[in-house]
Amino acid sequence: MLKDVAQLVINGLMAGTILAVPAIGLTAIYAVLRFPNFALASHATVGAFAGWIANVVLGWSIIPSLGLAFLAAGLVGVATDEFVLRPFRAAGFATTAIGSIALTIALENLLRMIFGNDLRGYDLPITRDWRFAGLHLGPQQVENMAISLVVMAAVFAFLAFTRAGKAMRAVADNPALARIKGVDAVRVARIVSFVGMGLAGVGGMLIGLDTTIDPLTGFRVMLSVFAAAVVGGLGSIPGAVLGALTIGVGEELCLLVLTPNYRSVVGFLAILLVLILRPSGLLGQRAY
Amino acid sequence: MSTAQFRLTRRSVLAGSAAALAAPYIARAQGVPLTLGILTPLTGAGGYDGPRMMKAIQAVAAQVNDAGGLLGRKITFVIEDDQTNPEAAVRAARKLVDVDKVPVIMGTWASAVTSAVAPVCWESKTFLTTTSGADTITKLPHQGYLIRTQPNNYLQGAKHAEFIASTGAKKVGLLSIQAPFAQPTQERVKDVLAKNGSSLTGGLIYEPNKTSYRSEVDQILRGSPDMVYLNGYTPDVSVLLRDLYRAGYDGPRFTQSYALTSKAVESLPKEVTEGTYTVQPSADIDSPAYANAAKLLGIKDPDSYETQAVDWMSLVALSIAKAKAATGTAIRDTVRSVSQGAGTKVYSAVDGLTILAKGGEVNYEGASGPCDFTDIGDIQDCKFRYLVVKNGALTFLKVV
Amino acid sequence: MENYLVALGVTAGLYALMAIGLNVIWGMAGLVNLGLVGFFAVGAYTSALLTTKLGVAIGVGMVAGAVAGGVAGALVALITARLRGDYLAIVTLGFAESLRTTASNETWLTNGTDGISGIPGPWRSVLTPSEFNLAYLALVVVIVLIAYLLAQRLSYSPFGRVLRAIRDDEQVAAVAGKPVLAFKVLAFAIGCTALGLAGALYAHYTSFVVPDIFVPLLTLYIKMALLSGGVGNNRGAVLGGLVVVIFLEGTRFITPYIPWLGAVQAAALQQFLVTAALLVVLRFRTRGLVPEPPDHPILRRT
Repeated sequence: MLKDVAQLVINGLMAGTILAVPAIGLTAIYAVLRFPNFALASHATVGAFAGWIANVVLGWSIIPSLGLAFLAAGLVGVATDEFVLRPFRAAGFATTAIGSIALTIALENLLRMIFGNDLRGYDLPITRDWRFAGLHLGPQQVENMAISLVVMAAVFAFLAFTRAGKAMRAVADNPALARIKGVDAVRVARIVSFVGMGLAGVGGMLIGLDTTIDPLTGFRVMLSVFAAAVVGGLGSIPGAVLGALTIGVGEELCLLVLTPNYRSVVGFLAILLVLILRPSGLLGQRAY
Repeated sequence: MSTAQFRLTRRSVLAGSAAALAAPYIARAQGVPLTLGILTPLTGAGGYDGPRMMKAIQAVAAQVNDAGGLLGRKITFVIEDDQTNPEAAVRAARKLVDVDKVPVIMGTWASAVTSAVAPVCWESKTFLTTTSGADTITKLPHQGYLIRTQPNNYLQGAKHAEFIASTGAKKVGLLSIQAPFAQPTQERVKDVLAKNGSSLTGGLIYEPNKTSYRSEVDQILRGSPDMVYLNGYTPDVSVLLRDLYRAGYDGPRFTQSYALTSKAVESLPKEVTEGTYTVQPSADIDSPAYANAAKLLGIKDPDSYETQAVDWMSLVALSIAKAKAATGTAIRDTVRSVSQGAGTKVYSAVDGLTILAKGGEVNYEGASGPCDFTDIGDIQDCKFRYLVVKNGALTFLKVV
Repeated sequence: MENYLVALGVTAGLYALMAIGLNVIWGMAGLVNLGLVGFFAVGAYTSALLTTKLGVAIGVGMVAGAVAGGVAGALVALITARLRGDYLAIVTLGFAESLRTTASNETWLTNGTDGISGIPGPWRSVLTPSEFNLAYLALVVVIVLIAYLLAQRLSYSPFGRVLRAIRDDEQVAAVAGKPVLAFKVLAFAIGCTALGLAGALYAHYTSFVVPDIFVPLLTLYIKMALLSGGVGNNRGAVLGGLVVVIFLEGTRFITPYIPWLGAVQAAALQQFLVTAALLVVLRFRTRGLVPEPPDHPILRRT
């Protein structure tokens, strides 16, 4: 029994660290632009396909492929924000959020027009899990987790040490003050769209590495990513990491009390529970 | 003056458009295309399976067209996407029925979609052919306007369990996707396994659309099965196969042919699929129908959905030809007289059409089985075709 | 062809009814609800179960569906009352998805993914299918009209004014002594009553409900209907319902003219065009085709 719990926690932590990458993207965008951007789902898919092209068509290895996933999803993110979502912002966050749902469906279908519905896998050998003390753990998962941790570290370094990162935090913490101090809000919006959607793209590819990808790849994890960001506190980047781990572990541990066909409800229950106890999430909404 | 002129113009425009509207009907008599409907998932969860069925239907129609068409007319299709969504599917079916006035709709896949679309079809006297697995579908009051080529869960569950037991497996784990067929199949498999000296040591129903099933796999492996039955669709079965391999499971696996097509086998790592059995409803071993379908589609091992789609189009073509009328009611009233009975056994649409043209009777034997239907539109019986993955390719095992 | 147009009329009517309900919640009270389809499902299942399992009359079932939708709305509003708008968006979305999962799994009640078929339709046994279609359109039109008139009354009533005051500035409304929470819950309940009624009407029209109908996509369509019609405006809500159905169905007739597209590409293009068309409408008419009118038809709102 204890071993089963330990195994579920391990599985959950693995899933959670991957979830954390797009959740950081989502929460970063929220911190600056103040709306839940549902287009994250299709940007994750964009990243997965860009990485697939790099890995399978161009024959790149995984790390540079992830780089291309970041770049492609980030650029698409900047473009769609500029031309589709920005005009909505004046009409309020709800309108923008709904615009982003429409955008995500449009992008999903654009990808479907190009790639079709076929399932595509990355060029990656499959390996057996390592076994120890009756538990098992996948090398690829550990690698994915390591990549996620490096990406997270890079995001924190970006926020702490670069001018753009500091500007982002300034806008997130106090937009009015940031404007007075001469921070260019439009530029910051572009940077955060690029970084946020880029992270979504990396997340999409990391999710696909383990399985296969198709136009619905991003959509499959959208609810979990949102649950992660909300549980941690929308707008808080450490919160997104904590939230992702909570959701990841929660979705696995629930199997002790629920049948697997109820797994997707767990994210929702976690949101409800946390929000009832702490209406602005575990770590509140300070960006950093 | 100008008003009068305007009126005249408008009247002539109206007359012109009336003629334009009537044109298809005038032309139709001269042998302009016979339009049939395809309603299948091209997007959404079924997006992986719909296009294959569509291509198979089109391939049969192309063959019929090359051989002179149907009632002297060429078959064409109006294709609508059911989006794997009952609400969208109903709107699409209405359009096919009321605007395109198709006599038949082929290709619904999800049980939810079929159950939603079926009333639209029977109320408008449009024939519906489907592969959906829910037992409730053929029990709908469809007045004969529906046939299903997928064996029902009772029959399938029994045959699958018998095969599994015959491989010598004693402890079987079953993972089913959340779908109407999950529970009934699981119960049937359990009963029949027990009767054959085997047993179901674990059964669970998982959610679709998950990116990992590691914990579900762990749960099934806790019963230390020597056979794992994966009752799902390609997107989730390919994840499950990987997760089973990673978790160190080496024993045989068993799944539906549509969940592990030859293309899916190619795209998955060899070691993940090795030794996996696939099953599909089938004609007798000496029936050339399967080989005909394979040749027609240019696929070595067509899966169950592809063979069923071939059979729908063949049955519809034969029914229309025999009834000499392309209406839903004509198809309903004729289909059993070409699918079963004492007529000459035929194994492809074109062969059957030739015999019908000479005034003969036919009994179509399909690639997915003998295609003999009960009163409620289920198939009476069929054989099952088993393949096994060897060295990264599907190889024929047997027909039982 | 007529049957098709009539059926689309029914769909547009149901969308319009939902958009009117949404307008009370969102347009008037400014509360975000991304779980519309959940309340639609509550209404549909309530009426379907009552009429098929307990043999309740269809009219009673529909009223019960509407009430159930309203009660569900009030409950969700009470639980989420303290939440900020953006959280509310995600919680309501999660609510609808969880409801769908529950409906798929609790087979004893909902018949699971098999769905409930054979739901009776009013006068269905005595009418031909096309007559039934027409009669149902008439019923839906009358209900939409009534809902529209009620919503208009509500909008210009003191209640409606308080809702807008809450929407525009919650704190000011609270300082003015208005019980903000009660107003919010009531607005949510009223709006969800319309959603529940729409669900019941849908169930008795198509005769079949199944969890897969109640996907977030439908929520998006209704949101888009209200947005493109004009948030805060009941006429806009009705117009929006029509616009969305025209986009959904109109795009079907475009893709066949692009012969080099494969079927999957055409299907993807169709869905792309629907969302793109709606985005374009919103891009150039940010306040919708019929922007929200001033508070009073004659006196301008300041």
